[in-house]
Amino acid sequence: MEKKGWDGFEIGAMLRSFDGATRDIATTLPENRPYSVSNSFTASVADWRIEKPLFNKDYCIDCQFCWVYCPDMSIIARDKKMIGIDFDHCKGCGICVEVCPTNPKSLLMFPEQKDEETALAEWPKKEKKADTEEKED
Amino acid sequence: MLEIRWHSRAGQGAVTGAKGLADVVSTTGKHVQAFAFYGSAKRGAAMTAYNRVDDKVVMNHEKFMRPDYVLVIDPALVYVADITANEKDNTIYIVTTHMSTDELIASQPKLEGRKVYTVDCIKIAQETIGKAIPNTPMLGALMKVSGMYDIEFFKESMVKVLKKLPQKIIDANMIAIQRAYDEVK
Amino acid sequence: MADTMELRDIEVWDGNMAASHALRQVQVDVVAAYPITPSTPIVENYAGFTANGYVDGEFVMTESEHGAMSCCIGAAAAGGRVATATSSQGFALMVETLYSASGMRLPIVLNVVNRAIGAPLNVNGDHSDMYMGRDSGWIQLDSYCPQNAYDLNFIAFKVSEDHDVRLPAMVHQDGFMTSHTAQGVHTLTDEAAFNFVGVYQPMNDMLDLDHPVTHGVQTEEDWHFEHKARQQHALMTAVLPKIQAAFDDFEKLTGRKYNLVEAYDMEDAEVAVVCMGTSVETAREVAEEMRAQGIKAGVVGIRVFRPWPLEQIAAVLKDVKAIAALDRSSPHGTVGALYNEISGTLFNTDTKAVLTNYIYGLGGRDLTKAHLVSIFTDLKANADAGKVTTPLQQYIGLRGPKLSFF
Ligand code: SF4
Ligand code: SF4
Repeated sequence: MEKKGWDGFEIGAMLRSFDGATRDIATTLPENRPYSVSNSFTASVADWRIEKPLFNKDYCIDCQFCWVYCPDMSIIARDKKMIGIDFDHCKGCGICVEVCPTNPKSLLMFPEQKDEETALAEWPKKEKKADTEEKED
Repeated sequence: MLEIRWHSRAGQGAVTGAKGLADVVSTTGKHVQAFAFYGSAKRGAAMTAYNRVDDKVVMNHEKFMRPDYVLVIDPALVYVADITANEKDNTIYIVTTHMSTDELIASQPKLEGRKVYTVDCIKIAQETIGKAIPNTPMLGALMKVSGMYDIEFFKESMVKVLKKLPQKIIDANMIAIQRAYDEVK
Repeated sequence: MADTMELRDIEVWDGNMAASHALRQVQVDVVAAYPITPSTPIVENYAGFTANGYVDGEFVMTESEHGAMSCCIGAAAAGGRVATATSSQGFALMVETLYSASGMRLPIVLNVVNRAIGAPLNVNGDHSDMYMGRDSGWIQLDSYCPQNAYDLNFIAFKVSEDHDVRLPAMVHQDGFMTSHTAQGVHTLTDEAAFNFVGVYQPMNDMLDLDHPVTHGVQTEEDWHFEHKARQQHALMTAVLPKIQAAFDDFEKLTGRKYNLVEAYDMEDAEVAVVCMGTSVETAREVAEEMRAQGIKAGVVGIRVFRPWPLEQIAAVLKDVKAIAALDRSSPHGTVGALYNEISGTLFNTDTKAVLTNYIYGLGGRDLTKAHLVSIFTDLKANADAGKVTTPLQQYIGLRGPKLSFF
């Protein structure tokens, strides 16, 4: 369907989420839903990013924090397992990295042009807690 | 146009009385209006209610009225309320009191020279309905004084107006109306 | 299925009772309310009717009038026939949401029982709340008596829900003077009343789960203006013809005739008052009495306040020599709203009429027939002199020294 301009909207500025009828939308995966052009799913914000998050599944404990906190629903999870990032809708805010609790983090921000394989190879190792902190107890 | 002003205390049923009268009058093909002055009056405060009756639709919505009848359903209001306000030469007063008409006029000289009728609606209501709700008996007295409707017809109509009440209460109201009709002087 | 109610041909109802029976008869699905004097009995009666099985509907008690209208907006967007009632400060608290309802093009019927707005606090009738709603994008219909309050509710639902309109509508009645004044009301049977309005036809309803929609979107500078223009276009072009058509259908059904502008004794009138609410009927009686004294008096009643029927009002006033616009709301800093509307309506026409403004009836102050006689007498003097012989804006029925401006 063509994108509607200012003179194409329906009264009340009501927006349709999907083209045509839908059934069982809750059990349909986002990529299979017939989103309409007026749904933000069809709009990419990839060019907003200066840095991108990359995912290292070796450290991930599937806590789902990133999925919960991502403001743009760009963490792709299936069967409660983190599987990757939706780079069409990720705007590079870094919140997922911030909330990831593993050590080292399973999500890290990299320059947009960084290639994934190199990033994974350079992934930092587990950080030891500083001695001073240990002594304090 | 027939205009009636009720003097009552909030809670004594002047509004119900005025609406009840309007209900009955309406069934006879006449046009009616019933309203009251509210304000933020508490139960017991003096208040007024009004009726207009006409052969054509009542379009006058002014609250100002020069009444043909003044119905006073609380005995004390004769002394504290301005019951003769905006009266006409031929305004008729029907007052609830335990006194005779002469005694009443002697106690309230403002009523001197007026057409005054008295009836003890409070006592009648207490003895029949069991509560000091003097509104329906006052209507019985009004029927007698005004000759507006035949009393049997009026009672039949009032039964319909009161139809949501328990039968015992309806019967008591009918006795009250008849007694006031018979006792007003 | 809701139970039907047997009504007498003429019921002695006050305006509130009349409005609540209309809500029952059209089987309103949702009434969300925060009751306020003097409109309380409307929603209270509806709640009683639903509780006793006379309506298949839902009564929702909310935490405020803002919440009440918000709930109505949700229910209307979901696809229900929706109504509520309010007055005064409650109306004021609703104002924000009124704009949402009209902008979202949701057909909601709001019974406004007109009441003064404090301070000082006052429960009685004037038109302050009605005037406050005039830019909100709602249709505003005005009742002069309980019969109108009943009838205009049916008109409001029919027009508001029409898919070419889809705008919310207010039915106004004067607090106490209509809302608590019992008069004979010619009733419709439940069946006839419901059929006049018909079964609710949903449009883009949220509860159509196969066609999910988003209501209440954000449009910034690039879309907002066009969207508002479109709303204004519908209000200005679609509504009056639909109201007229509904009035015509209603006359066929009941014999009761309503007009976009009510003109009484206006064919040859030299002097006329323009007013709203119960004052229209009182003024009609006085106009008749003035005519008996040889003054060609007429009355123009505003039936549809929004959208303002500019051409129709200009037409009924075109040959009048002196006009008084009666405003039952304090204009606080200018001339009365009705004075302004009439001025705007007659400007650019050939009229030579002299126009004056009277502020009256604030907080329920009585408008007596004697007041109206004095207004018509002023107008006669203006008509004879061909110019204004009094101040432009006068206060009528006010105690103390005379107050006037301009
Ligand atoms: S960077 Fe921001 S937008 Fe992108 S996936 Fe992480 S939280 Fe979501
Ligand atoms: S927050 Fe980190 S550990 Fe938790 S699911 Fe996301 S990537 Fe995995």
